[in-house]
Amino acid sequence: MIINLLISSFITIFIAELGDKTQIATLTLSGNSKRPWAVFLGSASALILATLLGVLAGGSISTFIPEIYLKLIASITFLIIGSRLIYDSFNLDENKTT
Amino acid sequence: MPKEKDELEKNFLSIFITSFTTIFIAELGDKTQLATLMLSAESGRPLIVFIGSSFALLCSSIAGVLIGKWLSSMISKERLSFFTGLLMTMISIWIGYTIYTIYY
Repeated sequence: MIINLLISSFITIFIAELGDKTQIATLTLSGNSKRPWAVFLGSASALILATLLGVLAGGSISTFIPEIYLKLIASITFLIIGSRLIYDSFNLDENKTT
Repeated sequence: MPKEKDELEKNFLSIFITSFTTIFIAELGDKTQLATLMLSAESGRPLIVFIGSSFALLCSSIAGVLIGKWLSSMISKERLSFFTGLLMTMISIWIGYTIYTIYY
């Protein structure tokens, strides 16, 4: 019973998470930094904390903060990181040619 | 030498904080968290669900880190940051679009 539940939570979450935006963000952060361990520790602890909140709250965090704000903040964060990376990529190019 | 070490540690901390905040914000209210919530409510055994899903998330973030490292050894730094930047911007637009479809 316990093992079944353990396995089914593992499989559900693992499949839901594959190729998700969180994983893409982890991939991006680790590919563009020299410290994959820092990225791993940061993202792992964030994920565990978010899960803990999900399990404990009994209602999602969206009962305290409206979902629209959460999504808006996530969207803005991704936009900032994305545009900074694109900007960096052109800057690196220039450094190379000069 | 100590100065160099300081710089490295600062780097570690800032990368850690960046990853933590980005992932934490992205994950709040995400479908994964909703699935965890549903599983824990349905089974009445939150601790087991917590262990199972934490482990799954650990595995998926290890996979993400490894794929990122592998990509960075395959293609040039400029190109990687351009494409990942483009990907992040697209995700941002997609999240924006879901906000639009849900609320308007």
